[in-house]
Amino acid sequence: MTTLLSLRNLVVGLRHGHQTSPIVRGVSLDVKPGERVGVVGESGSGKTLTMLSVLRLLASPPLDILEGEILLDGEDLTSASEHRLRQVRGSTIAMVYQDPMTSLNPLLHVGYQIVEALRAHDVDTPQARDKARDALRQVGLADPERVERSYPHELSGGMIQRVMIAMALAASPRLLIADEPTTALDVTIQQQILDLVLDLQDTTSMAVLWVTHDLGVVARLVDRVVVMYAGRIVEDAPTSELFRRPSHPYTAALLASLPGTQHTHRSLLHQIGGSPPDPTRLDRGCPFRPRCSFAVEQCAHDEPPLLVRGASRAACWREPDQWQT
Amino acid sequence: MADVVLRGTDLAQRYESRGRRVVDALRGVSLELRQGATLGIVGESGCGKSTLARLLVGLERPTAGTAEMSGESMSTLDGRTRARRIQLVFQDPYSSLDPRQRVRNALREVLTFHRLHAGAEEQRIEELLDLVVLGRRFADRYPHELSGGQAQRVAIARALAVEPTIVVLDEPTSALDVSVRAEIINLLIGIQSRITISYIFISHDLSMVRHVSDDIAVMYLGRIVESGSYDQVLDAPAHPYTLALAQAVPVPDPTVVRPRRAAPAIAASSPITRGCDYQDRCPLVESQCREVAPTLDDVGAGHRVACHVAQRRARTP
Repeated sequence: MTTLLSLRNLVVGLRHGHQTSPIVRGVSLDVKPGERVGVVGESGSGKTLTMLSVLRLLASPPLDILEGEILLDGEDLTSASEHRLRQVRGSTIAMVYQDPMTSLNPLLHVGYQIVEALRAHDVDTPQARDKARDALRQVGLADPERVERSYPHELSGGMIQRVMIAMALAASPRLLIADEPTTALDVTIQQQILDLVLDLQDTTSMAVLWVTHDLGVVARLVDRVVVMYAGRIVEDAPTSELFRRPSHPYTAALLASLPGTQHTHRSLLHQIGGSPPDPTRLDRGCPFRPRCSFAVEQCAHDEPPLLVRGASRAACWREPDQWQT
Repeated sequence: MADVVLRGTDLAQRYESRGRRVVDALRGVSLELRQGATLGIVGESGCGKSTLARLLVGLERPTAGTAEMSGESMSTLDGRTRARRIQLVFQDPYSSLDPRQRVRNALREVLTFHRLHAGAEEQRIEELLDLVVLGRRFADRYPHELSGGQAQRVAIARALAVEPTIVVLDEPTSALDVSVRAEIINLLIGIQSRITISYIFISHDLSMVRHVSDDIAVMYLGRIVESGSYDQVLDAPAHPYTLALAQAVPVPDPTVVRPRRAAPAIAASSPITRGCDYQDRCPLVESQCREVAPTLDDVGAGHRVACHVAQRRARTP
């Protein structure tokens, strides 16, 4: 199958003073039509910056794409004109952001904003109205007419986030990028939205890049997971492999820290310990080494590239059998 | 059975906006917190969990009902005494700390206000930092120099400074990274094993609530619809709402296959005036549910549920 989106060695730099530090440090990632890819990582791991780079939405300065290519059907978006980017944003690639409250104009009715967004992509007004209403209903808003007549401040955060998801889906994008879209929502609404995305994929070839820290959402929604740490992908694995046999010690530690029914009630949970490194001040060697229980001499000297580990790839010098129990 | 340290009886809270709209955020909530135990409270946003927390710590006065600690009514206690007994930890640790105040001063302020450990404040501050496993070197840091997990530890230390009987934890791990959540949960469990303290743990993270709580209450539209021990409520839910909530939580295991289904839309436009609050979303709804609101009744061994169908099933084994 052809590739829809391909990131090739993407480097994003943060300018501070007279220096520029790379904080997304060479991310390569392919997304095929219809594929669902999860992006997992702690705050500061570079997952949001990577997603914003795809649509060239980085705040510049201080953030800039320093190196690499962002290929959409083979067209490099890093050199695309602003005019071309406007065509891509919202129609070919739609994005749902983390903070919904800042995504709508507080002075305009919600319905007007949805229709306006659709019209920007050549949908005529009456058709846009119908599409907007259908989309609002699909995301579980019981009274779409009322939502359309409301100002953003009259709706709760959860409702606004559902409006944003409705807007993104109404334009039938080929790729949906969602940055923690359900984190602030109740689990029942989250379930509804995950089911909606899965349903849409049965009938369209929409691809999904879903940023989340919820490994439950990953298990439910995506086919493939990339785990980011300190501005790099440290593991890229089919979902079932990631849970069955994590290939990077960081992934294994994340999975072990979750409370589950296998834990004795009120027993101590596995702690990773330490904290993620400051991406502007990285030492030599593997950035996870200070928190890793399995580090060896080599880890202090060389940062590992993504190495093939069965069906997965992991940026770890050690073979998983050497540390997995 | 351990002593009850906090008892809420028929707590109600009504908000009115200039006589136009009336919101009943809490409608007759009764609960008990046992000494040294953890009571988990779960429910969707708008179910009244945070309103309940605010009533219990005295940030708001209930419209009706009483909250008693060791037999004394909370509303007759003055603010300072109440703060000595019950403390609140919020979701976002940075917003509960003064950005211009060093950790040491944030803790000293509490001790001075309550006239605790006069003359030995420094020693107590170090004890508190040890208690939250933060270390003394953090005493001179400002909040912006702390990670989310470290800031939450400071917020917990501040709550513990007055040696309260109860700490109400309102989503204490929700704003933290996954790798930090386990640390905070371990810390809270560890503290409870060393000192006698009761927690009210409010969260929408059911797996976390299940892990730390002895008892659990499930709230829906301002009422408790199910309560009991953690395993009664979450491993064998009797109320269809608890079941829906438990099933909606995505399990971090891709081999678990859950059928997709169109969940009924939430927040029905017409408020329910008669019968069970859950009738419009309930898959088990019967004619009786449209007429009579169920009461929270015992269905065995302290497991209480407000559902006609669940109660009948319990009676006819």
